[in-house]
Amino acid sequence: MMATRTMHDDMFTPDVIADPYTYYGQLREEDPIHWNEKYQLWVVTSYDDVVWLTRHHELFSSAVFKNDPRPAYPDINESDLGLYEYVRQYQADQFIQHDRPEHLEMRKVVHGYFTPKSTEAWRPFVQSAINDLLDAAEAKGSMDVMRDFATPLPVLVIAQMMGVPRQDRPYVRHLAEKLLNIGRGELDRMKPLTEGMQGMIDYVSPLVDERLVNPGDDFISVLAQGEKAGVFTRHQVLVNASLLLLAGHETTINLLCNGTLAFIRHPEQWEILTQDPASWTVRATEECLRYDAPVKSIQRITSQDVDIRGKLLRQNDRIRWFISSANRDPKPFADPDRFDISRHPNPHVAFGSGIHHCLGASLARLEGQEAFKALAERFPTLHLATDELEYQPSITFRSLKSLPVTWN
Amino acid sequence: MARTVRVTVDHNVCVGNAMCETIAPKVFVLNANRQSEAVDPAGDTVEKILDAAENCPVSAIIVEDAETGERLFP
Repeated sequence: MMATRTMHDDMFTPDVIADPYTYYGQLREEDPIHWNEKYQLWVVTSYDDVVWLTRHHELFSSAVFKNDPRPAYPDINESDLGLYEYVRQYQADQFIQHDRPEHLEMRKVVHGYFTPKSTEAWRPFVQSAINDLLDAAEAKGSMDVMRDFATPLPVLVIAQMMGVPRQDRPYVRHLAEKLLNIGRGELDRMKPLTEGMQGMIDYVSPLVDERLVNPGDDFISVLAQGEKAGVFTRHQVLVNASLLLLAGHETTINLLCNGTLAFIRHPEQWEILTQDPASWTVRATEECLRYDAPVKSIQRITSQDVDIRGKLLRQNDRIRWFISSANRDPKPFADPDRFDISRHPNPHVAFGSGIHHCLGASLARLEGQEAFKALAERFPTLHLATDELEYQPSITFRSLKSLPVTWN
Repeated sequence: MARTVRVTVDHNVCVGNAMCETIAPKVFVLNANRQSEAVDPAGDTVEKILDAAENCPVSAIIVEDAETGERLFP
């Protein structure tokens, strides 16, 4: 018999970053509601508990930045504590960092813009953006899926949604890349992060002024109407505009990169997709979202003392619930570590659940469906052009650093 | 006579986003699992019910004409 391994609590070791599934999978089996001593937070890993927790928003607050005075983790430079305070106030104004009743009023302003039906109207734009990017890649004969495809695509889509003029897109992309530091682990990440945040505020504010006078059908106009109606302050409008840029950026990059890598590592599944991309791409995208989800974990903070399976979570305790382990839980998913694009139904929690279920889920699905379909149609012989892949040392995002590929 | 509808919520799909309950609270109520149940398809106008179905982020709500069976949404 194997001796029980002792779980360590460092969630940032290279092995946990490279393969979160083994570490969090073991936690799910041995201690699904785990107190992490090192970071002083609860780690929730089973599917049932994650679904239960996300649907009981009255017990688990999303106003983490507002309610949590404890310092940043992983650590930051001590000289950057003032910058962290700026970040806290910035993040606290995002609508996703609110509880009911404010959350509902804020979500109602933006919800209609992202319904499955509204999102469907973006399919031709997404297809055309994908074609342009893949034309350029084809001409070169190889690409870094991260740099050349997955990173520019969502920025093009979001810039269009915000009504950003074409000549400003490189600047918005530059800001978006600074914003990505929110999910990173480097000690000195606060400086570029706050530069990105302030850059977005400075860039978007005149656009809001303009849209208040001349409303259009873009997302900034939607937010500006929320300001006019008294639901959002100006700071909230600006912060939520950059939330769209950030939330729609990193997550889509990860969906496209992690999904492409899953296909490369499972040639028999790639074979199925390439035989009939149009028919398979919807289920394939869902399986990519389940198998190697773009977001690994999300935070909450307990609103009151809660007992879960004999563990007492005290009011104001920090919590992280892990999508990565819930999506590999054998209870809802037969053979959970198998990448199988025919899996159906596929009730993964890549977008969370409950009242905070990802606002942009339909857009992410659409981008994934069109991207995997186009890759399968155009590059059926796709394969890796490197032996070494590295992930960002993030607890929130499952982000490759690069994904070089080529084809015959 | 006003059209009557049959409303079902697919529990393999419903994520408990609760926007349907916000839009048509007499028709949609969250159950113990915090998933939506269509408790009273006559509880609001057909327009409100279709609005709720359209605002479901995962298209879990199916609306049909109760007499003809015609699919009204999605």
